[in-house]
Amino acid sequence: MSSRSGPQSGQTALLFLPGDSLLHRANPLTSLIFMLWMISAAAVLPTIGTTILIVAGVALSFAMGVGPRVTKRLVITMLPLLVALLVVHGFLVSRPDFIPLVGPLTYSPTGLEYAAQVVTRIGAMLTASLIFVTTTHPGDILKSLDQRGVSPGVSYLIASPLLLIEPFSERAKAIRDAQRARGLDLTSTFKARFKALPALLIPLITLALSDLDHRASILNSRAFRAQKHRTVIDAPPDDRFQVWLRRVLIVLAIAQLGIPLLWR
Amino acid sequence: MALIKVEDLFFRYPQAKAPVLDGLSVAFEQGERVAILAPNAAGKTTLARWLAGLYPDGGLVAERGHVSMDGKPWPQWSAAERAAAVQFVGQVPSQQLTGCAFTVYEEIAFGPCNLALPEGEVRARVEQALAVCNLKHLAKRDPFTLSGGEQQRLSIAAALAMQPRVLILDEPTSNLDPESRDDFIAQLDALPAGLTVIVFEVALRPSLGLARRFMLLDEGRIVVDGTPETVLAHPRCIETLGMTAVARAAFEIREAGRWPEGLALPLTLAVAEQSFREAARA
Ligand SMILES: Nc1ncnc2c1ncn2[C@@H]1O[C@H](COP(=O)(O)OP(=O)(O)OP(=O)(O)O)[C@@H](O)[C@H]1O
Ligand SMILES: [Mg+2]
Repeated sequence: MSSRSGPQSGQTALLFLPGDSLLHRANPLTSLIFMLWMISAAAVLPTIGTTILIVAGVALSFAMGVGPRVTKRLVITMLPLLVALLVVHGFLVSRPDFIPLVGPLTYSPTGLEYAAQVVTRIGAMLTASLIFVTTTHPGDILKSLDQRGVSPGVSYLIASPLLLIEPFSERAKAIRDAQRARGLDLTSTFKARFKALPALLIPLITLALSDLDHRASILNSRAFRAQKHRTVIDAPPDDRFQVWLRRVLIVLAIAQLGIPLLWR
Repeated sequence: MALIKVEDLFFRYPQAKAPVLDGLSVAFEQGERVAILAPNAAGKTTLARWLAGLYPDGGLVAERGHVSMDGKPWPQWSAAERAAAVQFVGQVPSQQLTGCAFTVYEEIAFGPCNLALPEGEVRARVEQALAVCNLKHLAKRDPFTLSGGEQQRLSIAAALAMQPRVLILDEPTSNLDPESRDDFIAQLDALPAGLTVIVFEVALRPSLGLARRFMLLDEGRIVVDGTPETVLAHPRCIETLGMTAVARAAFEIREAGRWPEGLALPLTLAVAEQSFREAARA
């Protein structure tokens, strides 16, 4: 057990792709703050800037060996949004600068511009998040929070959604199978499926609540929060350079957000 | 002084008519290996939770009596003290996981890490628990993707890594196949002699491998308490839990009138050979 949890575990890692790139080797906090810096830049840059950010982000993802996965997720999420916003703001919402296109169709350049701005902004933020989650294992984030002395209660609260996805989807599958075996119709029309929803959700929620009870008792018996700090094993490495890099990125992020506000 | 002492415990679940524990008294000494046998719904899980200090809890309180460890009743222990003193492993494997670990290794390390032990100590404990429970090859797996039997071994490994003084196991071998069961029992048997182990079982064979002291829980009380031979030969035990295969064979021979008067029925293969020889000679 010499290496970190990253490349080892399976399902719960979600979008994480094992690798050995610069971002894979970086301390999770550095990656996290890099992501926040990119998001803050995306929040304030004009359309041309956010577009460059997306292109640079995608290029970076390829350099880090996670390009295909990042690009695929980005396109799947952004394409419908792009089409919808272009249609709504370019052609449907009535604006003073409508220009005839063909036949009865008119379009608005400012509407298109607005749509492009929103889409590239969201796209750049999404790119930043995707680069982060594909190169950082959730277990390592947890460890670096532990290592920073963040109280165990808080760091596990942050990580619990990631940790509990696997047992939850297993449970949901089991409930679905059990209900189906008792004749619940899940295959035919959309309406039938919609009607089946409570039958699936109610047991899932009830079980989740009873699970909380069990889990609280298990955590107690494993001395969770008995001490102020926990021991961290296989802690992700950190160094002075990264510490300084993080400070610079934080200052930059705050400045980026603050300066345009002061300008106005 | 007894290590864990139950005094006249009378307990019923809210709204239930009959009590589950009806004036039960029993004491356990340090280092004892005890098997408490009872059929389904006799109150094994309930008694186990009382012994482990998980009850009283909220509305679940005793009408009479209490359970103490080292002479101090459980409610006076803090959660951290109790975690170091006793570990309880419940019956449903998936409910024994913390949900705070991405790998089997981390799941076992979780408790020792919470105790803020030095890293080397944590690793030593995890390695030992992995070996005892035969989990080395699964160390990197996600706990929630393990099979039932693997999860059961994991929950016991996680309890062992806390290095408690008392280990309470509720049907620990119910999900194990016969071979893993025998392996597992042998490993448990090899644990430090100072560790007190109390198992609750419906199956006779695994209990025989582990415990020197047997008890039968019936109608809310311990009705027999003694050696495996006395408890397993008790009519009530035979009626509710049956016999081991070897004992059954000897029993049939006795029913047919060909078992020597005064010769005890053998319980395990180890003693059976001798007994059957004697029976054949007679
Ligand atoms: N939370 C509860 N509320 C009400 N009744 C309960 C509760 N838990 C258990 N019981 C009842 O108490 C009795 C003893 O239950 P317990 O779980 O202790 O039995 P057990 O010996 O462990 O059975 P099994 O071998 O099936 O695990 C049963 O009749 C059960 O229905
Ligand atoms: Mg039970």
